[in-house]
Amino acid sequence: MIELRDVSFVYNGGGECIRNIDLRIEDHECVVIMGCSGNGKTTLTRLINGLAPSYYPGKLTGETIINGKPANKMLQWERAQHIGSVFQDPKSQFFSSELRGEIAFACENYGMNTGIVRVRTDAAIHDMKLTHLIETPIDRLSNGEKQKTAIASVNVLKPEVYVFDEPSANLDNEATEHLAQIIKQLKAQGHTLIIAEHRLHYLTDIADRFLYLENGRLTKSFTKEDLLALPEAIRLKMGIRSPQKIDWPELPRAEVANDKIFSLKLENITYSLKKKDILNSVSVAACPGHIVAITGKNGIGKTTLAKIMCGLLKESSGKVFIMGNQVGVKHRWKYAWYSANDTNTQFFTESIVKELLLLSVSTGAIKKHARNVLKEFSLYEYKDRHPFTLSGGEKQRLSIACGLLSNRDIMILDEPTSGLDGRNMQIVSNALKYAAAQGKTIFVITHDVELIAKACDYYLNL
Amino acid sequence: MHTVHTHDFAILVKLWVVFCTMSCVFLAGDAHFTWTITIMSFFYIVVQCKWKDLLGFVLFYSLTSLLLILIRRYGFRMLIFSEFHVLVFWLMTSIFIVSWDLITSPPGSVSAFLSRIRAPAGVILGVLVIFRFFPTMKAEFRGLLESMHNRGLMSVRQILLHPVAIIEYILMPMLMRCLQMADQLSVSAISRGIEAPGVRSSYYATGMRLRDYACIATYIAFVSAFLIIGGFR
Repeated sequence: MIELRDVSFVYNGGGECIRNIDLRIEDHECVVIMGCSGNGKTTLTRLINGLAPSYYPGKLTGETIINGKPANKMLQWERAQHIGSVFQDPKSQFFSSELRGEIAFACENYGMNTGIVRVRTDAAIHDMKLTHLIETPIDRLSNGEKQKTAIASVNVLKPEVYVFDEPSANLDNEATEHLAQIIKQLKAQGHTLIIAEHRLHYLTDIADRFLYLENGRLTKSFTKEDLLALPEAIRLKMGIRSPQKIDWPELPRAEVANDKIFSLKLENITYSLKKKDILNSVSVAACPGHIVAITGKNGIGKTTLAKIMCGLLKESSGKVFIMGNQVGVKHRWKYAWYSANDTNTQFFTESIVKELLLLSVSTGAIKKHARNVLKEFSLYEYKDRHPFTLSGGEKQRLSIACGLLSNRDIMILDEPTSGLDGRNMQIVSNALKYAAAQGKTIFVITHDVELIAKACDYYLNL
Repeated sequence: MHTVHTHDFAILVKLWVVFCTMSCVFLAGDAHFTWTITIMSFFYIVVQCKWKDLLGFVLFYSLTSLLLILIRRYGFRMLIFSEFHVLVFWLMTSIFIVSWDLITSPPGSVSAFLSRIRAPAGVILGVLVIFRFFPTMKAEFRGLLESMHNRGLMSVRQILLHPVAIIEYILMPMLMRCLQMADQLSVSAISRGIEAPGVRSSYYATGMRLRDYACIATYIAFVSAFLIIGGFR
């Protein structure tokens, strides 16, 4: 049992904080923590697993009880034996490049006998159905497999409690279904599960309670029935994503036709790497103002296709036409903007304004356009901040804004809403519509059915 | 990168082999005898059944040998590499081989070794972060170059007109990512008990086996013979 009694926390230097939380989580319970980005979900998970204040220093008041024992009497490594943590981006938590070494890591830290380390590691690999991947380097695993590895590397210690921080953020729908199965299995085994998450639909049938955090306070608690009964307008206002699995919207396929001039047309694109076909004869086309969703499983070649569109990769065969003219790989970047899923490597200057105006001739008209775009994307108040200080959703919006200011007619966005709450998803969705209304042709690689339903006009399923 | 090998020598042995190999290369009276230590390094890789590494290094050594022959006997010249560069690569091949073998050891084995020699937790954590750091940074760097290309920062004109700005565009995001990654890895380690007291164990730990002692003895004998016969610098 975990109990927080009037717990408040503020990081040294300020930032997101937690205010007067009273929370009791019973053994074997599955609790989902919801709320907009920046409202304290991650901080609350850190207070439970002890990383705040042990690693993230700050001022903590109130009392946390774990299994009847005051948490402040436990050292961090003692707490980690009882509470296992799975983070949002599994690849950033791996120490080893091979599966067994990674999963064994926690047992090794506790100095368990080598025989026990091997038995537990092999059992965790078996339980997570990873046996066939033992010889595969971790870097080559799919996102879903990486997430399973991260869970196995916690499972190996057999903690009573699992704390997940947005575990589905980088997963496609199939991998999310697998994650739901694992969470269900952990619950059936009697573990206590605490999951901070935006995507709720896969947890609706598993979780016992849904807690809503707002400005660091736990303001509401929902049962599954309460959550499902929540009117959509209120849910959207609260920034909560749909608790139900959204049906795939009926969209026309973005097909090539001979009677139109498309802003971008790909004909029979094939891409092979090390004798393996990644893309096989893919054709797609779109006109100005179109928003095309590119969908498909993780690893199917969506990002590869995007990189071919914008000239970061050269196709093995096939043709790429921009505004009716065949354009070689070296020149495509002049017409097509690419926003990668990982926004951390996309910004180069020390302020948002400078980022937007990078390589632009800074005329009055361009500055005005930049100002309007920043306001449209709710970024104007941060205009002098360093891009690295923005949240994930804000970085995604800045990347799209840079695309708009780049004067390129085609924009290709890779998973712009992964890890975003309902409110930010709505803002990104509006940003895409705004860009399309400006005459841009937009391709969005996404697993987010909510985004597709809200913003996209066409689809291409790989 | 860290392929699992049950034939791996213990970390202590690997360190010893690196030390011996460096001694041979740097102290050798006649540098041309270093081919013997390179052949020895190939055997060292063979004993550990690392066939892929062996193939790569054999190709590398063959290429540098061929280039040296072409340069010395036929006056072959290259635009970028001089004879000196090729000779350095040729001489250092053995060091590359044994160092590569050390740094591609499973991190669990390395940390278990450090723990056995009572290295502080901070040192172990630092070493583990470094192990993971390079492959991750490689991927980050690739992403950064793609972004620069996308932004038009990699055009020849841009590079020629604003070389300092280009360096800044590379360095600043990389430094920020370094900090982020170090932070994420540290959190991951702490949440999995890196601070637990006592000696760490390892999935791969086998302790010193007969083959480890045999390897140490063989290298002692080899280095002694190499330096006695070939002389010191």
